[in-house]
Amino acid sequence: MMIREGLFNRILLWAITIAGLIVIYAPPLYLLAVSFNPALQPGVPRLSDLSLTWYAALPHERALVGALQQSLIIATITAVLATGMSLLAALAYFELRATRTAWFLTVILPMFVPGVIQGLALSAVFTRSGIKASTLTVIAGHLLWAMPFAFIVILTSFAAVRRSYLTAAADLGATRWRQFVDITLPLIRPGLISAVIFSFLLSLNEFTRAFYLAGRQNTLPVVLFGKMNSGASPVIYAMSGAIFLVSVGCVALASVHFLLRRN
Amino acid sequence: MTAPRLPISSALMTPPLMAILALGLAPLTIVVVWSFWSWDPSTYWIKPDLSLAGYAGILEAGRWTVIVSTLVKAFATALLCLLIAYPTAYAVHFLAGRRLSIILLALITIPFFTSYLIRSFSWRLVLGRTGVLNTWLQDLGMINAPLDWLLFSNFAVIVGLIASYLPFATFPLLLSMRRVDPTFLAAAQDLGAGFWKSLTSILLPLTMSGIFAGFLFVFVMVVGSSTEVQMLGGAGASIVSVMINDVMRVANYPLAFAISTIVLIVIFGLVLIGNRMFGLSSLFEDQSP
Repeated sequence: MMIREGLFNRILLWAITIAGLIVIYAPPLYLLAVSFNPALQPGVPRLSDLSLTWYAALPHERALVGALQQSLIIATITAVLATGMSLLAALAYFELRATRTAWFLTVILPMFVPGVIQGLALSAVFTRSGIKASTLTVIAGHLLWAMPFAFIVILTSFAAVRRSYLTAAADLGATRWRQFVDITLPLIRPGLISAVIFSFLLSLNEFTRAFYLAGRQNTLPVVLFGKMNSGASPVIYAMSGAIFLVSVGCVALASVHFLLRRN
Repeated sequence: MTAPRLPISSALMTPPLMAILALGLAPLTIVVVWSFWSWDPSTYWIKPDLSLAGYAGILEAGRWTVIVSTLVKAFATALLCLLIAYPTAYAVHFLAGRRLSIILLALITIPFFTSYLIRSFSWRLVLGRTGVLNTWLQDLGMINAPLDWLLFSNFAVIVGLIASYLPFATFPLLLSMRRVDPTFLAAAQDLGAGFWKSLTSILLPLTMSGIFAGFLFVFVMVVGSSTEVQMLGGAGASIVSVMINDVMRVANYPLAFAISTIVLIVIFGLVLIGNRMFGLSSLFEDQSP
Protein backbone atom coordinates (compact mmCIF):
# COMPACT_ATOMS: atom_id res chain seq x y z
CA MET A 1 0.00 0.00 0.00
CA MET A 2 1.21 3.48 -0.79
CA ILE A 3 0.17 5.09 2.46
CA ARG A 4 0.39 3.46 5.87
CA GLU A 5 -2.87 4.65 7.39
CA GLY A 6 -2.50 2.90 10.73
CA LEU A 7 -5.13 0.62 12.20
CA PHE A 8 -7.15 3.37 13.88
CA ASN A 9 -7.44 5.49 10.76
CA ARG A 10 -8.28 2.49 8.65
CA ILE A 11 -11.10 1.52 11.01
CA LEU A 12 -12.34 5.12 10.94
CA LEU A 13 -12.35 5.21 7.13
CA TRP A 14 -14.22 1.92 6.86
CA ALA A 15 -16.69 2.93 9.58
CA ILE A 16 -17.65 6.10 7.71
CA THR A 17 -17.89 4.17 4.42
CA ILE A 18 -20.20 1.59 5.97
CA ALA A 19 -22.26 4.30 7.69
CA GLY A 20 -22.79 5.98 4.30
CA LEU A 21 -23.90 2.70 2.73
CA ILE A 22 -26.28 2.04 5.64
CA VAL A 23 -27.86 5.48 5.20
CA ILE A 24 -28.44 4.68 1.52
CA TYR A 25 -29.55 1.07 1.77
CA ALA A 26 -31.03 0.34 5.21
CA PRO A 27 -34.40 2.13 4.78
CA PRO A 28 -35.35 0.66 1.38
CA LEU A 29 -34.18 -2.80 2.48
CA TYR A 30 -36.32 -2.46 5.60
CA LEU A 31 -39.27 -1.52 3.40
CA LEU A 32 -38.55 -4.60 1.33
CA ALA A 33 -38.57 -6.78 4.47
CA VAL A 34 -41.83 -5.19 5.61
CA SER A 35 -43.43 -6.02 2.26
CA PHE A 36 -43.09 -9.73 3.07
CA ASN A 37 -44.90 -9.28 6.39
CA PRO A 38 -48.55 -10.37 6.20
CA ALA A 39 -49.46 -8.17 9.20
CA LEU A 40 -50.97 -4.73 8.57
CA GLN A 41 -48.63 -3.10 11.09
CA PRO A 42 -45.19 -2.51 9.47
CA GLY A 43 -42.38 -4.54 10.98
CA VAL A 44 -39.77 -7.11 10.02
CA PRO A 45 -41.55 -10.45 9.71
CA ARG A 46 -40.29 -13.55 11.49
CA LEU A 47 -38.94 -16.18 9.11
CA SER A 48 -41.97 -18.39 9.73
CA ASP A 49 -44.32 -15.50 8.92
CA LEU A 50 -42.77 -14.64 5.55
CA SER A 51 -45.59 -14.27 3.06
CA LEU A 52 -46.28 -13.04 -0.42
CA THR A 53 -49.79 -11.87 0.54
CA TRP A 54 -49.26 -8.31 -0.61
CA TYR A 55 -47.49 -9.34 -3.79
CA ALA A 56 -50.39 -11.66 -4.61
CA ALA A 57 -52.71 -8.68 -4.18
CA LEU A 58 -50.77 -6.60 -6.74
CA PRO A 59 -52.44 -7.90 -9.94
CA HIS A 60 -55.83 -6.87 -8.53
CA GLU A 61 -54.74 -3.24 -8.18
CA ARG A 62 -55.95 -1.99 -11.56
CA ALA A 63 -54.47 1.50 -11.16
CA LEU A 64 -51.02 0.14 -10.31
CA VAL A 65 -50.98 -2.42 -13.12
CA GLY A 66 -52.08 0.12 -15.73
CA ALA A 67 -49.47 2.58 -14.51
CA LEU A 68 -46.77 -0.10 -14.53
CA GLN A 69 -47.56 -1.01 -18.15
CA GLN A 70 -47.41 2.65 -19.13
CA SER A 71 -44.09 3.10 -17.32
CA LEU A 72 -42.58 0.04 -19.01
CA ILE A 73 -43.54 1.30 -22.47
CA ILE A 74 -42.14 4.76 -21.77
CA ALA A 75 -38.95 3.39 -20.22
CA THR A 76 -38.26 1.04 -23.13
CA ILE A 77 -38.64 3.73 -25.80
CA THR A 78 -36.67 6.24 -23.70
CA ALA A 79 -33.84 3.71 -23.23
CA VAL A 80 -33.47 3.05 -26.96
CA LEU A 81 -33.67 6.73 -27.94
CA ALA A 82 -31.37 7.97 -25.17
CA THR A 83 -28.71 5.36 -25.95
CA GLY A 84 -28.80 6.06 -29.69
CA MET A 85 -28.59 9.81 -29.19
CA SER A 86 -25.81 9.47 -26.61
CA LEU A 87 -23.80 7.21 -28.89
CA LEU A 88 -23.98 9.86 -31.64
CA ALA A 89 -23.09 12.54 -29.08
CA ALA A 90 -20.10 10.52 -27.86
CA LEU A 91 -18.85 9.84 -31.39
CA ALA A 92 -19.13 13.55 -32.15
CA TYR A 93 -17.23 14.30 -28.94
CA PHE A 94 -14.19 12.40 -30.18
CA GLU A 95 -14.32 14.09 -33.58
CA LEU A 96 -14.30 17.54 -32.03
CA ARG A 97 -11.15 19.32 -30.94
CA ALA A 98 -11.54 22.94 -29.83
CA THR A 99 -15.25 22.75 -29.01
CA ARG A 100 -15.06 19.46 -27.10
CA THR A 101 -15.68 20.93 -23.67
CA ALA A 102 -18.55 23.06 -24.93
CA TRP A 103 -20.17 19.98 -26.47
CA PHE A 104 -19.67 17.97 -23.29
CA LEU A 105 -21.36 20.71 -21.25
CA THR A 106 -24.21 21.00 -23.75
CA VAL A 107 -25.07 17.32 -23.36
CA ILE A 108 -24.52 17.25 -19.59
CA LEU A 109 -26.27 20.49 -18.57
CA PRO A 110 -29.87 19.14 -18.82
CA MET A 111 -28.98 16.85 -15.90
CA PHE A 112 -28.75 19.91 -13.66
CA VAL A 113 -32.10 21.44 -14.62
CA PRO A 114 -34.49 20.73 -11.72
CA GLY A 115 -37.21 18.24 -12.67
CA VAL A 116 -40.01 20.59 -11.66
CA ILE A 117 -38.73 23.37 -13.91
CA GLN A 118 -38.01 21.03 -16.82
CA GLY A 119 -41.39 19.29 -16.57
CA LEU A 120 -43.39 22.48 -16.10
CA ALA A 121 -41.62 24.36 -18.89
CA LEU A 122 -41.84 21.48 -21.33
CA SER A 123 -45.56 21.09 -20.64
CA ALA A 124 -45.95 24.84 -21.31
CA VAL A 125 -44.19 24.40 -24.67
CA PHE A 126 -46.42 21.45 -25.57
CA THR A 127 -49.62 23.24 -24.55
CA ARG A 128 -48.66 26.28 -26.61
CA SER A 129 -47.89 24.16 -29.68
CA GLY A 130 -51.19 22.30 -29.32
CA ILE A 131 -49.59 18.97 -28.41
CA LYS A 132 -51.74 16.95 -26.01
CA ALA A 133 -50.13 15.29 -23.00
CA SER A 134 -49.56 11.63 -23.82
CA THR A 135 -47.06 8.81 -23.72
CA LEU A 136 -44.89 10.74 -26.16
CA THR A 137 -44.71 13.88 -24.03
CA VAL A 138 -43.43 11.88 -21.06
CA ILE A 139 -40.82 10.23 -23.30
CA ALA A 140 -39.75 13.69 -24.48
CA GLY A 141 -39.27 14.75 -20.85
CA HIS A 142 -37.39 11.59 -19.92
CA LEU A 143 -35.08 11.67 -22.92
CA LEU A 144 -33.13 14.69 -21.70
CA TRP A 145 -33.07 13.28 -18.15
CA ALA A 146 -31.53 9.97 -19.26
CA MET A 147 -29.16 11.26 -21.95
CA PRO A 148 -26.45 12.80 -19.72
CA PHE A 149 -26.08 9.56 -17.76
CA ALA A 150 -26.06 7.42 -20.89
CA PHE A 151 -23.54 9.83 -22.46
CA ILE A 152 -21.13 9.58 -19.52
CA VAL A 153 -21.34 5.77 -19.45
CA ILE A 154 -20.70 5.52 -23.19
CA LEU A 155 -17.92 8.11 -23.00
CA THR A 156 -16.12 6.11 -20.30
CA SER A 157 -16.49 2.91 -22.30
CA PHE A 158 -14.60 4.58 -25.15
CA ALA A 159 -11.46 4.20 -23.04
CA ALA A 160 -11.24 0.69 -24.56
CA VAL A 161 -10.96 2.14 -28.07
CA ARG A 162 -7.30 2.98 -28.61
CA ARG A 163 -6.50 5.53 -31.29
CA SER A 164 -3.85 3.12 -32.62
CA TYR A 165 -6.46 0.41 -33.41
CA LEU A 166 -8.34 2.82 -35.64
CA THR A 167 -5.17 4.12 -37.27
CA ALA A 168 -4.08 0.55 -38.01
CA ALA A 169 -7.47 -0.24 -39.54
CA ALA A 170 -7.33 2.94 -41.63
CA ASP A 171 -3.83 2.00 -42.87
CA LEU A 172 -5.23 -1.34 -43.96
CA GLY A 173 -7.86 0.47 -45.99
CA ALA A 174 -10.90 0.31 -43.70
CA THR A 175 -13.44 3.09 -44.22
CA ARG A 176 -14.71 5.13 -41.27
CA TRP A 177 -17.87 3.03 -41.29
CA ARG A 178 -15.97 -0.28 -41.23
CA GLN A 179 -13.73 1.01 -38.43
CA PHE A 180 -16.86 1.86 -36.47
CA VAL A 181 -18.64 -1.45 -37.07
CA ASP A 182 -15.63 -3.78 -36.70
CA ILE A 183 -13.61 -2.04 -33.98
CA THR A 184 -15.42 0.66 -32.06
CA LEU A 185 -18.81 -0.99 -31.73
CA PRO A 186 -17.63 -4.34 -30.27
CA LEU A 187 -15.29 -2.55 -27.87
CA ILE A 188 -17.92 -0.19 -26.46
CA ARG A 189 -20.70 -2.79 -26.37
CA PRO A 190 -20.64 -3.18 -22.56
CA GLY A 191 -21.04 0.60 -22.33
CA LEU A 192 -24.01 0.56 -24.70
CA ILE A 193 -25.72 -2.25 -22.79
CA SER A 194 -25.20 -0.37 -19.52
CA ALA A 195 -26.52 2.81 -21.10
CA VAL A 196 -29.73 1.03 -22.18
CA ILE A 197 -30.27 -0.47 -18.73
CA PHE A 198 -29.49 2.77 -16.90
CA SER A 199 -31.73 4.92 -19.14
CA PHE A 200 -34.53 2.39 -18.75
CA LEU A 201 -34.32 2.57 -14.97
CA LEU A 202 -33.98 6.36 -14.87
CA SER A 203 -37.18 6.65 -16.88
CA LEU A 204 -39.00 3.92 -14.95
CA ASN A 205 -38.28 5.64 -11.64
CA GLU A 206 -38.67 9.26 -12.73
CA PHE A 207 -41.44 11.08 -10.91
CA THR A 208 -41.29 14.89 -11.14
CA ARG A 209 -41.23 15.34 -14.92
CA ALA A 210 -43.86 12.66 -15.51
CA PHE A 211 -46.07 14.42 -12.95
CA TYR A 212 -46.36 17.41 -15.32
CA LEU A 213 -46.16 15.61 -18.66
CA ALA A 214 -48.32 12.49 -18.26
CA GLY A 215 -51.60 12.36 -20.14
CA ARG A 216 -54.68 10.40 -19.07
CA GLN A 217 -52.62 7.37 -18.08
CA ASN A 218 -50.19 8.26 -15.27
CA THR A 219 -46.86 6.53 -14.83
CA LEU A 220 -46.14 4.22 -11.91
CA PRO A 221 -44.19 6.69 -9.72
CA VAL A 222 -46.96 9.29 -10.10
CA VAL A 223 -49.62 6.79 -9.02
CA LEU A 224 -47.39 5.53 -6.18
CA PHE A 225 -46.84 9.10 -4.98
CA GLY A 226 -50.59 9.66 -4.72
CA LYS A 227 -51.09 6.41 -2.81
CA MET A 228 -48.15 7.05 -0.47
CA ASN A 229 -49.73 10.30 0.65
CA SER A 230 -53.24 8.95 1.09
CA GLY A 231 -52.48 6.43 3.81
CA ALA A 232 -49.89 3.82 2.94
CA SER A 233 -51.19 0.30 2.46
CA PRO A 234 -48.93 -2.76 2.51
CA VAL A 235 -49.62 -3.20 -1.21
CA ILE A 236 -47.62 0.01 -1.73
CA TYR A 237 -44.74 -1.59 0.16
CA ALA A 238 -44.94 -4.62 -2.12
CA MET A 239 -44.97 -2.55 -5.32
CA SER A 240 -42.16 -0.28 -4.07
CA GLY A 241 -40.19 -3.25 -2.82
CA ALA A 242 -40.53 -5.08 -6.13
CA ILE A 243 -39.48 -2.03 -8.17
CA PHE A 244 -36.53 -1.38 -5.87
CA LEU A 245 -35.40 -4.99 -6.07
CA VAL A 246 -35.61 -5.10 -9.87
CA SER A 247 -33.70 -1.81 -10.17
CA VAL A 248 -30.94 -2.97 -7.83
CA GLY A 249 -30.65 -6.29 -9.64
CA CYS A 250 -30.36 -4.67 -13.07
CA VAL A 251 -27.76 -2.09 -12.04
CA ALA A 252 -25.74 -4.62 -10.07
CA LEU A 253 -25.56 -6.92 -13.08
CA ALA A 254 -24.79 -4.11 -15.51
CA SER A 255 -22.15 -2.41 -13.40
CA VAL A 256 -20.34 -5.59 -12.37
CA HIS A 257 -20.31 -6.69 -16.02
CA PHE A 258 -19.11 -3.23 -17.10
CA LEU A 259 -16.45 -2.89 -14.42
CA LEU A 260 -15.08 -6.40 -14.85
CA ARG A 261 -14.71 -5.78 -18.56
CA ARG A 262 -12.91 -2.49 -18.01
CA ASN A 263 -10.46 -3.47 -15.32
CA MET B 1 -18.10 17.83 -58.84
CA THR B 2 -19.24 16.57 -55.50
CA ALA B 3 -21.21 18.69 -53.10
CA PRO B 4 -19.11 20.15 -50.28
CA ARG B 5 -19.12 17.57 -47.48
CA LEU B 6 -20.03 18.52 -43.99
CA PRO B 7 -17.48 17.51 -41.37
CA ILE B 8 -18.47 14.17 -39.87
CA SER B 9 -18.81 15.72 -36.41
CA SER B 10 -21.68 17.96 -37.56
CA ALA B 11 -23.57 15.00 -38.98
CA LEU B 12 -23.13 13.07 -35.73
CA MET B 13 -24.05 16.05 -33.58
CA THR B 14 -27.25 16.95 -35.40
CA PRO B 15 -29.77 14.49 -33.84
CA PRO B 16 -28.69 14.91 -30.20
CA LEU B 17 -28.31 18.65 -30.67
CA MET B 18 -31.82 18.93 -32.11
CA ALA B 19 -33.19 17.01 -29.12
CA ILE B 20 -31.34 19.23 -26.68
CA LEU B 21 -32.49 22.41 -28.42
CA ALA B 22 -36.12 21.36 -28.75
CA LEU B 23 -36.54 19.68 -25.39
CA GLY B 24 -34.02 21.66 -23.35
CA LEU B 25 -33.39 25.09 -24.74
CA ALA B 26 -36.91 25.86 -25.99
CA PRO B 27 -38.52 25.22 -22.57
CA LEU B 28 -35.83 27.27 -20.81
CA THR B 29 -36.42 30.13 -23.22
CA ILE B 30 -40.11 30.03 -22.38
CA VAL B 31 -39.22 30.08 -18.68
CA VAL B 32 -37.22 33.27 -19.05
CA VAL B 33 -39.67 34.99 -21.44
CA TRP B 34 -42.85 34.17 -19.51
CA SER B 35 -41.24 35.30 -16.25
CA PHE B 36 -41.58 38.84 -17.63
CA TRP B 37 -45.24 38.45 -18.62
CA SER B 38 -48.21 39.55 -16.56
CA TRP B 39 -50.78 37.37 -14.82
CA ASP B 40 -54.39 38.22 -14.08
CA PRO B 41 -55.36 36.86 -10.65
CA SER B 42 -59.11 36.95 -11.41
CA THR B 43 -58.98 34.79 -14.56
CA TYR B 44 -55.63 32.99 -14.04
CA TRP B 45 -54.74 34.02 -17.62
CA ILE B 46 -51.31 35.21 -18.64
CA LYS B 47 -50.67 38.01 -21.11
CA PRO B 48 -47.52 38.95 -23.01
CA ASP B 49 -47.36 42.40 -21.41
CA LEU B 50 -43.93 43.22 -20.06
CA SER B 51 -44.13 43.12 -16.28
CA LEU B 52 -41.84 42.56 -13.34
CA ALA B 53 -44.72 41.35 -11.15
CA GLY B 54 -43.31 37.82 -11.18
CA TYR B 55 -40.01 38.97 -9.72
CA ALA B 56 -41.81 41.30 -7.27
CA GLY B 57 -43.83 38.27 -6.16
CA ILE B 58 -40.65 36.58 -4.98
CA LEU B 59 -40.33 39.26 -2.32
CA GLU B 60 -43.90 38.66 -1.11
CA ALA B 61 -45.28 36.02 1.25
CA GLY B 62 -41.81 35.11 2.50
CA ARG B 63 -40.97 33.39 -0.77
CA TRP B 64 -37.41 34.68 -0.71
CA THR B 65 -36.90 32.98 2.65
CA VAL B 66 -37.70 29.64 0.97
CA ILE B 67 -35.01 30.39 -1.61
CA VAL B 68 -32.51 31.23 1.14
CA SER B 69 -33.41 28.14 3.18
CA THR B 70 -33.08 25.99 0.06
CA LEU B 71 -29.55 27.30 -0.48
CA VAL B 72 -28.73 26.67 3.20
CA LYS B 73 -30.08 23.10 2.98
CA ALA B 74 -28.09 22.55 -0.22
CA PHE B 75 -24.90 23.87 1.37
CA ALA B 76 -25.31 21.78 4.52
CA THR B 77 -26.17 18.60 2.59
CA ALA B 78 -23.27 19.04 0.18
CA LEU B 79 -20.83 19.54 3.06
CA LEU B 80 -22.12 16.51 4.99
CA CYS B 81 -22.03 14.40 1.83
CA LEU B 82 -18.38 15.34 1.25
CA LEU B 83 -17.51 14.33 4.81
CA ILE B 84 -18.94 10.86 4.17
CA ALA B 85 -17.96 10.56 0.51
CA TYR B 86 -14.26 11.42 0.90
CA PRO B 87 -13.49 8.52 3.25
CA THR B 88 -15.67 6.28 1.05
CA ALA B 89 -13.79 7.20 -2.10
CA TYR B 90 -10.52 6.74 -0.20
CA ALA B 91 -11.55 3.31 1.03
CA VAL B 92 -12.63 2.20 -2.45
CA HIS B 93 -9.51 3.48 -4.17
CA PHE B 94 -6.73 2.88 -1.63
CA LEU B 95 -7.95 0.32 0.91
CA ALA B 96 -10.17 -2.17 -0.91
CA GLY B 97 -8.81 -5.06 -2.94
CA ARG B 98 -9.81 -5.50 -6.57
CA ARG B 99 -12.92 -7.58 -5.96
CA LEU B 100 -14.16 -5.56 -2.99
CA SER B 101 -13.64 -2.30 -4.86
CA ILE B 102 -15.83 -3.57 -7.71
CA ILE B 103 -18.58 -4.52 -5.27
CA LEU B 104 -18.33 -1.13 -3.56
CA LEU B 105 -18.38 0.67 -6.89
CA ALA B 106 -21.53 -1.20 -7.84
CA LEU B 107 -23.09 -0.29 -4.48
CA ILE B 108 -22.29 3.38 -5.11
CA THR B 109 -23.65 3.21 -8.66
CA ILE B 110 -26.97 1.54 -7.83
CA PRO B 111 -28.62 4.50 -6.01
CA PHE B 112 -28.39 6.70 -9.13
CA PHE B 113 -30.88 4.44 -10.86
CA THR B 114 -33.29 3.49 -8.10
CA SER B 115 -36.40 5.47 -7.25
CA TYR B 116 -35.77 8.62 -5.18
CA LEU B 117 -39.48 8.50 -4.33
CA ILE B 118 -39.35 4.99 -2.88
CA ARG B 119 -36.09 5.67 -1.04
CA SER B 120 -37.47 8.85 0.55
CA PHE B 121 -40.73 7.11 1.40
CA SER B 122 -38.89 4.25 3.10
CA TRP B 123 -37.41 6.72 5.62
CA ARG B 124 -40.94 7.20 6.98
CA LEU B 125 -40.86 3.62 8.22
CA VAL B 126 -37.54 4.28 9.95
CA LEU B 127 -38.14 7.72 11.46
CA GLY B 128 -41.88 7.62 12.24
CA ARG B 129 -43.41 7.59 15.76
CA THR B 130 -43.74 3.82 15.56
CA GLY B 131 -40.72 3.51 13.27
CA VAL B 132 -37.60 1.42 13.73
CA LEU B 133 -35.49 4.13 15.35
CA ASN B 134 -38.08 5.15 17.96
CA THR B 135 -38.83 1.51 18.77
CA TRP B 136 -35.14 0.70 19.24
CA LEU B 137 -34.43 3.76 21.35
CA GLN B 138 -37.41 2.93 23.57
CA ASP B 139 -36.45 -0.73 23.85
CA LEU B 140 -32.94 0.30 24.86
CA GLY B 141 -34.48 2.58 27.48
CA MET B 142 -32.75 5.67 26.08
CA ILE B 143 -36.02 7.55 25.67
CA ASN B 144 -39.40 7.17 27.34
CA ALA B 145 -41.68 8.59 24.67
CA PRO B 146 -41.20 8.50 20.88
CA LEU B 147 -39.22 11.41 19.48
CA ASP B 148 -41.53 13.53 17.33
CA TRP B 149 -38.85 15.56 15.60
CA LEU B 150 -37.39 12.56 13.79
CA LEU B 151 -39.98 12.58 11.00
CA PHE B 152 -41.70 15.45 9.16
CA SER B 153 -38.92 17.80 10.19
CA ASN B 154 -35.83 19.49 8.80
CA PHE B 155 -33.82 16.68 10.35
CA ALA B 156 -35.69 14.09 8.30
CA VAL B 157 -35.31 16.18 5.15
CA ILE B 158 -31.53 16.53 5.55
CA VAL B 159 -31.15 12.81 6.25
CA GLY B 160 -33.29 11.98 3.22
CA LEU B 161 -31.30 14.38 1.03
CA ILE B 162 -27.98 12.86 2.11
CA ALA B 163 -29.31 9.36 1.42
CA SER B 164 -30.53 10.44 -2.02
CA TYR B 165 -27.54 12.40 -3.28
CA LEU B 166 -24.49 10.99 -1.48
CA PRO B 167 -23.28 9.08 -4.59
CA PHE B 168 -23.16 12.35 -6.52
CA ALA B 169 -20.29 13.35 -4.22
CA THR B 170 -18.57 9.96 -4.11
CA PHE B 171 -18.18 9.52 -7.86
CA PRO B 172 -16.25 12.68 -8.78
CA LEU B 173 -14.04 12.17 -5.71
CA LEU B 174 -13.23 8.66 -6.85
CA LEU B 175 -12.43 9.86 -10.37
CA SER B 176 -10.13 12.55 -9.02
CA MET B 177 -8.31 10.09 -6.74
CA ARG B 178 -7.62 7.84 -9.73
CA ARG B 179 -5.70 10.72 -11.33
CA VAL B 180 -3.35 11.15 -8.38
CA ASP B 181 0.14 9.97 -9.25
CA PRO B 182 0.96 7.32 -6.60
CA THR B 183 4.64 8.23 -6.62
CA PHE B 184 3.83 11.51 -4.86
CA LEU B 185 2.26 9.59 -2.00
CA ALA B 186 5.14 7.12 -1.93
CA ALA B 187 7.61 10.00 -1.82
CA ALA B 188 5.76 11.61 1.09
CA GLN B 189 5.81 8.26 2.86
CA ASP B 190 9.58 7.89 2.32
CA LEU B 191 10.16 11.36 3.70
CA GLY B 192 8.38 10.32 6.88
CA ALA B 193 4.95 11.83 6.42
CA GLY B 194 2.20 10.08 8.35
CA PHE B 195 -1.32 9.46 7.10
CA TRP B 196 -2.77 12.82 8.10
CA LYS B 197 0.24 14.72 6.77
CA SER B 198 0.04 12.91 3.40
CA LEU B 199 -3.68 13.49 3.33
CA THR B 200 -3.61 17.22 4.02
CA SER B 201 -0.50 18.17 2.07
CA ILE B 202 -0.76 15.83 -0.94
CA LEU B 203 -4.05 14.06 -1.44
CA LEU B 204 -6.47 16.89 -0.58
CA PRO B 205 -4.81 19.48 -2.83
CA LEU B 206 -4.53 17.01 -5.70
CA THR B 207 -8.19 16.01 -5.45
CA MET B 208 -9.49 19.58 -5.24
CA SER B 209 -11.31 19.24 -8.56
CA GLY B 210 -13.14 16.16 -7.27
CA ILE B 211 -14.02 17.90 -4.00
CA PHE B 212 -15.41 20.88 -5.84
CA ALA B 213 -17.30 18.76 -8.38
CA GLY B 214 -18.76 16.57 -5.62
CA PHE B 215 -19.89 19.60 -3.65
CA LEU B 216 -21.34 21.19 -6.77
CA PHE B 217 -23.26 18.09 -7.91
CA VAL B 218 -24.90 17.56 -4.51
CA PHE B 219 -25.62 21.29 -4.11
CA VAL B 220 -27.29 21.48 -7.51
CA MET B 221 -29.30 18.28 -7.02
CA VAL B 222 -30.62 19.52 -3.65
CA VAL B 223 -31.58 22.92 -5.10
CA GLY B 224 -33.68 21.05 -7.67
CA SER B 225 -35.07 18.39 -5.33
CA SER B 226 -38.69 18.13 -4.27
CA THR B 227 -39.48 14.50 -3.34
CA GLU B 228 -37.52 14.50 -0.08
CA VAL B 229 -39.38 17.55 1.26
CA GLN B 230 -42.75 16.25 0.04
CA MET B 231 -42.17 12.87 1.71
CA LEU B 232 -40.28 13.84 4.86
CA GLY B 233 -40.80 17.56 5.50
CA GLY B 234 -43.08 19.01 8.16
CA ALA B 235 -46.39 20.79 7.59
CA GLY B 236 -44.93 24.15 6.55
CA ALA B 237 -41.79 22.72 4.99
CA SER B 238 -40.87 23.97 1.57
CA ILE B 239 -38.04 24.01 -0.89
CA VAL B 240 -37.82 25.89 -4.18
CA SER B 241 -39.29 23.11 -6.35
CA VAL B 242 -42.22 22.56 -3.98
CA MET B 243 -42.86 26.31 -3.90
CA ILE B 244 -42.93 26.45 -7.72
CA ASN B 245 -45.44 23.60 -7.65
CA ASP B 246 -47.60 25.47 -5.10
CA VAL B 247 -47.53 28.68 -7.14
CA MET B 248 -48.72 26.71 -10.18
CA ARG B 249 -51.97 25.73 -8.42
CA VAL B 250 -53.28 29.11 -9.62
CA ALA B 251 -51.42 28.82 -12.93
CA ASN B 252 -49.26 31.81 -12.04
CA TYR B 253 -46.66 31.10 -14.72
CA PRO B 254 -44.85 34.46 -14.44
CA LEU B 255 -44.17 33.99 -10.73
CA ALA B 256 -43.30 30.28 -11.08
CA PHE B 257 -40.95 31.06 -13.95
CA ALA B 258 -39.40 34.09 -12.20
CA ILE B 259 -38.44 31.77 -9.33
CA SER B 260 -37.23 29.19 -11.88
CA THR B 261 -35.11 31.80 -13.67
CA ILE B 262 -33.36 32.75 -10.43
CA VAL B 263 -32.75 29.07 -9.61
CA LEU B 264 -31.42 28.34 -13.10
CA ILE B 265 -29.05 31.31 -12.97
CA VAL B 266 -27.65 30.05 -9.66
CA ILE B 267 -27.29 26.47 -10.94
CA PHE B 268 -25.81 27.22 -14.36
CA GLY B 269 -23.59 29.93 -12.86
CA LEU B 270 -22.11 27.42 -10.41
CA VAL B 271 -21.66 24.71 -13.04
CA LEU B 272 -19.95 27.07 -15.48
CA ILE B 273 -17.70 28.60 -12.81
CA GLY B 274 -16.84 25.08 -11.66
CA ASN B 275 -15.98 24.09 -15.18
CA ARG B 276 -13.83 27.17 -15.72
CA MET B 277 -11.93 26.61 -12.48
CA PHE B 278 -11.57 22.84 -12.46
CA GLY B 279 -12.42 21.48 -15.90
CA LEU B 280 -15.33 19.19 -14.98
CA SER B 281 -15.23 17.45 -18.35
CA SER B 282 -11.63 16.34 -17.84
CA LEU B 283 -12.78 14.27 -14.84
CA PHE B 284 -14.65 11.93 -17.15
CA GLU B 285 -12.09 11.69 -19.91
CA ASP B 286 -10.04 8.59 -20.32
CA GLN B 287 -6.33 8.72 -19.63
CA SER B 288 -5.35 5.92 -21.93
CA PRO B 289 -3.05 6.75 -24.84
